[in-house]
Amino acid sequence: MITLNVNNKTYQVDVSPDMPLLWVVRDTLGLTGTKFGCGVAQCGACVLHLDGEAVRSCVTKVSRAEGKKIITIEGLSANNDHPAQLAWEEIDVPQCGYCHSGQIMSAAVLLRENPKPTDKDIDDAMSGNICRCGTYPRVRKAIHLAAEMQEKDKK
Amino acid sequence: MDSKNNIDNTRRSFLKLTGLGGAALCMGFYLPSDAAVTLIKPSDLTAADIEMCAWILINTSGKVTLVSHRAEMGQGAYHSIPQIIAEELEVNLKDIDVIFAQGNEKKYGNQITGGSSTIRSSYKRLLQLSATAREMLITAAALQWKVSVNDCYAEAGHVIHRPSAKKMHYGELVLQASKLEAPKNPKLKKISEYKLIRQPLHRLDTPMKLNGSAIFGLDKKIPGMLYAAVERNPRLRGKVKSFDDSEAKKIPGVKNIFVVKMMVHNTIREGIAVVADSTWAALEGKKALRVTWDDTGFEHVNSLEIFKRQEDFLKIKEGLPLKSQGNPTAIIEKSKKKVDVIYQTPYQSHSCMEPLNCIAHFQGDKIEIWGPIQAPGWVQDFISTQMGIAKDKVIVNMTFLGGGFGRKAFTDYPHEAVLISKEIGAPVQVVWSREDDLKQGPYRPGISYRCEGVVSEGKIEALKFRMAGQNNDHWSGGKKDVPNDSTSEGFLEPYYASIKNLSISDVPFETPLPTMWWRSVYASTNGFAYESFMDEMAVEAGKDPLDFRRTHLQDKRCQKLIDKMEEVSGWKKRNKNEGYGVAITECFKSTVGHIVKVSKNISGGVKIDKVWAVMDCGWYVNPDIIRAQVEGSIVMGLGAATIHEITFKDGKVEQNNFYDYPMPRITDIPPIEVYIIENEEDAGGVGEPALPPFAPALTNAIFDLTGKRIRKLPFSLATV
Amino acid sequence: MATFLKNKTISVIFLSLASMVALGWTLKQDDETNYIKLDKAALKKDSIASVMAFKNVYKVLMSPRCVNCHPKGDVPLQGDDSHLHVMAPKRGLDGKGVYAMKCTNCHQPKNTPGQHTPPGNPDWHLPPADMKMVFEGRTAHELAKQLVDPAQNGNKNIKKLKEHADDALVLAGWNPGEGRTLPPMSHAEFKKEWLTWLNNGAYAPAK
Repeated sequence: MITLNVNNKTYQVDVSPDMPLLWVVRDTLGLTGTKFGCGVAQCGACVLHLDGEAVRSCVTKVSRAEGKKIITIEGLSANNDHPAQLAWEEIDVPQCGYCHSGQIMSAAVLLRENPKPTDKDIDDAMSGNICRCGTYPRVRKAIHLAAEMQEKDKK
Repeated sequence: MDSKNNIDNTRRSFLKLTGLGGAALCMGFYLPSDAAVTLIKPSDLTAADIEMCAWILINTSGKVTLVSHRAEMGQGAYHSIPQIIAEELEVNLKDIDVIFAQGNEKKYGNQITGGSSTIRSSYKRLLQLSATAREMLITAAALQWKVSVNDCYAEAGHVIHRPSAKKMHYGELVLQASKLEAPKNPKLKKISEYKLIRQPLHRLDTPMKLNGSAIFGLDKKIPGMLYAAVERNPRLRGKVKSFDDSEAKKIPGVKNIFVVKMMVHNTIREGIAVVADSTWAALEGKKALRVTWDDTGFEHVNSLEIFKRQEDFLKIKEGLPLKSQGNPTAIIEKSKKKVDVIYQTPYQSHSCMEPLNCIAHFQGDKIEIWGPIQAPGWVQDFISTQMGIAKDKVIVNMTFLGGGFGRKAFTDYPHEAVLISKEIGAPVQVVWSREDDLKQGPYRPGISYRCEGVVSEGKIEALKFRMAGQNNDHWSGGKKDVPNDSTSEGFLEPYYASIKNLSISDVPFETPLPTMWWRSVYASTNGFAYESFMDEMAVEAGKDPLDFRRTHLQDKRCQKLIDKMEEVSGWKKRNKNEGYGVAITECFKSTVGHIVKVSKNISGGVKIDKVWAVMDCGWYVNPDIIRAQVEGSIVMGLGAATIHEITFKDGKVEQNNFYDYPMPRITDIPPIEVYIIENEEDAGGVGEPALPPFAPALTNAIFDLTGKRIRKLPFSLATV
Repeated sequence: MATFLKNKTISVIFLSLASMVALGWTLKQDDETNYIKLDKAALKKDSIASVMAFKNVYKVLMSPRCVNCHPKGDVPLQGDDSHLHVMAPKRGLDGKGVYAMKCTNCHQPKNTPGQHTPPGNPDWHLPPADMKMVFEGRTAHELAKQLVDPAQNGNKNIKKLKEHADDALVLAGWNPGEGRTLPPMSHAEFKKEWLTWLNNGAYAPAK
């Protein structure tokens, strides 16, 4: 049995310690917001937060997550109201939407560590997330907007 | 909009969603593919029939349910159809629930979400249908109030009596309304009267795509469901000679391992299915298999040979003419100043972000399927035929699609899932790894074009195009003695009027490689060859490439498009050291022009500074969705032009995953400006037409900057 | 002492000129600048042995397993052809990446099974921004001098440098994960050459 803390809930899962966190979260816990895209840490569809870092769950063994705090897209905010989510909605970023759990989870780390990201900062943070629909121009726009929203919230 | 969006249109949840408890208190409309709107009266129906007959339902609480007959794969059908309905029905957009229809072509007509056809093929019916319902609800209220219909109007889900300001909710009127005769010619709004249509409204599916609640195929779960992964023949056909599953069986969770024979077009692709209790165990089991394949009896192709053979054909074969006017061959043969060149475009993978997957539950006399499916009707037909089960016993459910681009309009992966479910006697989700998705095709066919032309007095005197590449239709029984009718796809109609001597021919070319539509289909490759060659002709004629097109495209809409392109891009005001390229193509009844601006990169090669896109798609619904589709098409076109190439060696695909079939990333994307031409023409497609002009506009810009003509894709921007 | 060294150096060059030139190696005569200044007394001043050892050290350091994480820019290299790392992760101030692109977001404590998967180490990182320790593009001369320069090597003295041969990330070069070539000699051989280089004066090959 492995004990996991996911979205502030504790779970006991009976899986191989080698199983990637992605499949534990998706198949065992039924939290399907975290997506399978490539399986080799190339695309970023599977990004979730492990102790606040934008970890790629497809190559992260569940054993690494023991004793750590896991946040998936389902647990990023209570009401779809993380600044990234609000900005994504305002800009209508997603097309098919499949990659955007990962995009948003990556953007959330950027926005936390750099409240006023420049285009270059956005490049540095988001170049690991692939979008086949080509929503990149809107991802960029939405991150700038999210930064503004976040700033306003603080005031 | 109900944010509970687990799109699950099993009967029970359907009835729950629409508030039907067995009694038929709703309005439904039956829409045989081309017939007029027909009202279904409750008396004609049993409760069970309703879901099979309705496209739009209004229940007694006033909730509107749209049964979307088309897939949502990013292109916006989930939103655009309700935006049309809300306009003429006079309801709030948020009061429309959307559920995905099951496969049923008798009812919905063609359900293939392809050819950028969702809006253009159904908007008139949707407007008509919504206006019909609105008028019936108004009539029902007027009858109840005993007032003139002319004094009543509808707004935000209510009928209002203007003089008295009396107001009734649609839900209170549906029962009465459903007893009325449907008006034959309901009054439709003029474009200038639209309140919702043509507005950049926020997409209904956006919120659920931001918190993990949108259910894609891979997210769907069925009670008792197992998982399967399949090791398929890497040469894309051929048989299993033998396999060793001793290591695979040792993996905890692996349950069954057996041979599965999936139909791909008209060929069988054998594979070894590993069924397990988790996706991970199935994928690990598949990796542990040792399979020996019997690959005799078909050609093992190599990419270089394919293109060599195409070139050889084009040297000697005239091909089957699709378009022919005047006598281009004679003029070209006579001319001392002809241009005669070969263009080439590679095989390409769709590579949707959501790898292929499908759930099937074989239940003896009935099969139910759930998955990211672009063509539920075809899947229903195909499975019915293959499995010998009546069509109405094959239930095909669509989920959200994590990308489609043509690949998910195919029947192979549902078929394989059905075979596996039958074998194990349980519901199963078959998951394709990224490698499976990339290495198993079908692909956009690789094509060579021979383009010949002669100019005279600043205009094209003769033009001759020949295409040698696989015909997708041949896989579905298309005749081999007729030209591929897509050989001219992408080429603008008005060229036929201005170029008197012109021929476009298909030089038939076959390989054993399975091919399939890929976003914008043959326009994506034709566009590159034909619009690049148009640039060569302009250079040959000593004309500005944009003016050259203006001269040859004597059509009002084209002229307007070209004017707009010139205006927004500053084409004539360009500076030294800037390369500008133009290309215009037609695709699925929309015309799109791109202008690309490039400059030399300090670190070598060329960089794209800007892309301007002008789309003329006629009547349209949501300008922001159009802009998104154009942006996305350009990004996909950028990958197709500068990165992507599926290559074959000894019959096997050489690429594996995103590390050797890399996608453009956020760092690669130039600024894009999108403009939409306003007019009242018939609606054209939106999801695909902006892709074809990108590659030629880019390479034409590179020619403008460097004098280097790129005739083979992909090419590297870094080493131009 | 300086004179002695100089003479010896010259004579060796004379004796083995053919082979030295063939390898592209010559010894520099300006000895004062050639060997490490710290712990000078403790070093055996055998410049020939030192330079010859560094020749082998250099081969290892310039192999993809080492050079890939010692790039001249701020993006690591990847693969046996040392191409720029796909998806362009950035060094960051601490060498551990930035924002959503931190090394350990993909690079696990251990190698991920399979080809083209991220190789692993608990401490996966690049040299930090204030001490980039660039290998890429460095000549043997430049690299040798840089390695022993405390201002450029993270203030490592000879003892620390010696110990560095057994650093977990250095060792990771010899456990690169499936499909990646190993450095051109074993770790034991490398360590021997590394220590020989350092113990004999940490001489830099001539420019």
